[in-house]
Amino acid sequence: MTAPGTEPTAGPGTEATAGPSHQTTIGPDDNPATGSEAATIAHRRTHPITPLVTGWKIVVGIVAVLTAQNIARLAGDFTWGRALAALGILVVAVVIAVVASALSWWFTTYAVDESGVALHKGLLSKSREFAPREKIESVTVERPFLARLLGLSKVRVEVAGGGESYLDIEYVRAADAEELRTRILAVAAGVDPRQVDAASTPTAPGDLTDADQEPSADGAPPASAPPASAPDPLRKLLKGEVEDGELIAEIPTQRLVHSLVRDADFLLSIVFGIIGGIVAIGLGIWQDGFAFASLIALLPALIALPKYVFGRIEGGWGFVSRITDRGLRMRRGLLNTRTDNIATGRIQRFALKRPLLWRSPGWTSVSVTVAGIGDDSNEASNVLPVGTREELWLTLGHLAPTLGTADDMATLEHLLTAPARDIDGLRAPHRLQWYSRRTQVVVLLPGVLIQRHGLLARKLVIIPRDRIQQVAIEDDPFARRLRSLDLKVGVAGHTETIGDLPREAARHLHAVLAHDAATSRRYSDRSTWREPALALSASSGAGQETGR
Amino acid sequence: MDAMNQPPREFVEPPESQLQVPVETQRGPAPMPRVSERRLEAAQKPGPRSESSDREPSDREPSDPPVPIVTDDGPRIGASGLKPVSPKLIPARYIAGIPGYVTGVLMIAACLVLWWWQGWWWLGLVAVIPAITVVQGLLFTPRRVRAIGYLDGEDELIVASGLMFRNVVTVPYGRIQSVKIDEGPVDRSYGLAKISFTTAADAGETLPGLPKEEAERLRELLTRRGIDTMAAL
Repeated sequence: MTAPGTEPTAGPGTEATAGPSHQTTIGPDDNPATGSEAATIAHRRTHPITPLVTGWKIVVGIVAVLTAQNIARLAGDFTWGRALAALGILVVAVVIAVVASALSWWFTTYAVDESGVALHKGLLSKSREFAPREKIESVTVERPFLARLLGLSKVRVEVAGGGESYLDIEYVRAADAEELRTRILAVAAGVDPRQVDAASTPTAPGDLTDADQEPSADGAPPASAPPASAPDPLRKLLKGEVEDGELIAEIPTQRLVHSLVRDADFLLSIVFGIIGGIVAIGLGIWQDGFAFASLIALLPALIALPKYVFGRIEGGWGFVSRITDRGLRMRRGLLNTRTDNIATGRIQRFALKRPLLWRSPGWTSVSVTVAGIGDDSNEASNVLPVGTREELWLTLGHLAPTLGTADDMATLEHLLTAPARDIDGLRAPHRLQWYSRRTQVVVLLPGVLIQRHGLLARKLVIIPRDRIQQVAIEDDPFARRLRSLDLKVGVAGHTETIGDLPREAARHLHAVLAHDAATSRRYSDRSTWREPALALSASSGAGQETGR
Repeated sequence: MDAMNQPPREFVEPPESQLQVPVETQRGPAPMPRVSERRLEAAQKPGPRSESSDREPSDREPSDPPVPIVTDDGPRIGASGLKPVSPKLIPARYIAGIPGYVTGVLMIAACLVLWWWQGWWWLGLVAVIPAITVVQGLLFTPRRVRAIGYLDGEDELIVASGLMFRNVVTVPYGRIQSVKIDEGPVDRSYGLAKISFTTAADAGETLPGLPKEEAERLRELLTRRGIDTMAAL
């Protein structure tokens, strides 16, 4: 316990790491409770180089806008005087941007205490963001490119709530970022942050009292910490990453690489991207002669391809997923590791895909549509980039409701592997709809509605019947000729079109699904809600164990 | 797993109380028989869910398959018992469409004048687009309004609309997230209102041309039944 007025209790932790020297408390309106136990960690500023990074973004933006407009003319009117003038303007812009960023940096502070994470920003318009402990869903350390060059990282605290709610602590040192992350995770788990500091110092691990493990917000018993040595849960936290919970999938790098090589979509897009780039450059040179300007104009398109490739690799590299009582936690990434957290109760729809060349090893990729997660964080919705059958079963068993058949896994395998004409279900009625008849079939199971489509790659869309929000039937003159109707099934965030169903069957299916939408998942009937087959044994009354 | 090499074991005749994809005898090791309508009807036995809930609002026996809501007799799909909206919507739509019609006519006139004056014959083709819009608005508005129908059922609201591209949507009360009543100036002078509601799926539905009391009654019904039967996402 340090005396008030001296360095606050964050001291030991920061002494262990060579942190930035600006540790002073800021302003009269910050740093509450210095008189009491000094439990709060004083507000700190982020790293001093931060203005360079954020200022550089502004400069790049200005430069991009200017050059995009005038590039052709600039290339033609090049003189040294003009170049020097442009350089001068650039320097002025850089200085202004950096000064503006420095000002905003000076007034940006963050603090982590036992009630949550606070971020105070703003010179003229002050903004105070606060992430309460109970709502913290995950903490990610991200390293954007320029920040990585300077050895900085960004810590993002995801808060339960809409898709866009997070708190960004921008640019702390990389080592500090990991420590900050473990501290925030400790706070979210209910551990006193002081004990995290004490444990992270090399001295005196024996001083630890029992970890103050309050039960987490959803009431899961704290018995996840074994009654054995008290530093154990802290040590698990300090190791970081996704360590708690039951392991679902761990993708070895070799499998990821093989899967990418075997993915025809991926290869074709690379090939076409390269061919397109070469053709575009060739055309440009052939028509206008070698013009630097035309290359600059093509730059965004040329960058898109490596970005796509890199994105696919990042989405699966080192993928680990575990199921915890807070939901599904996933970790992935090569250069930019990110941890995602999906609350399993909010999953509305599953999309399984098995490309042609993945059939023999039996790999499948699973992505989900989650209520509340928008399209921008599309990486988070890919819960299994490439998984074996066992991993597929574990993933779906924990996330999806029971399908309702006697052997769910065999049903899924059958739906994924059998040719479409061999699957028992609804398909297009008319001869002219030959493509749909060949590749598309709709299967209604007790728990879910499954649509299989795709010619070479086997794709399944699984919609749990209790997540359906509305059902619509669409008719048009051509459909009347073809004796078919379209069904539009709406779940939260997505409307699935199930086209080309026979008219009678479509009407009956509509009635069944409308009944499901009207009667399932009522708040008044919680006991009748379908649970995943492999519900966590920790939760009381683990769900129906039909399935397997 | 060798599940691929064995016939799927789940396609077995289910006990009566369970809803299953019903099974016919399998021909050979793997191929499944083709679908038939009868199979879907047999598949509609409600699951254990509805048996356990006592508050089944409709009078159906638990083992009856749900009766199809959408009817297919006649020139258009619909539902039995659909109520039409107020016929006053027809003049209301005409009046509300006047700015659009005037703009369209002006565009056609401008195209024709320029064609005659400058000889740009292709403007005649350009003028076809506003011409089609204006003509189909003038001709089809009455029929379109008469094709709108709604039905506030026990558990859900059914809205049908459209002439050629017909759309019948079923929205359960418990899934409705928000209800809104709009009255434009033209609607208000005819005593009409438009009710729009959204669910968690992005598409929101609208029901125009309701008399004001009916719109209020519907809104009150949607809110009350929505709270009674509110469903989680």
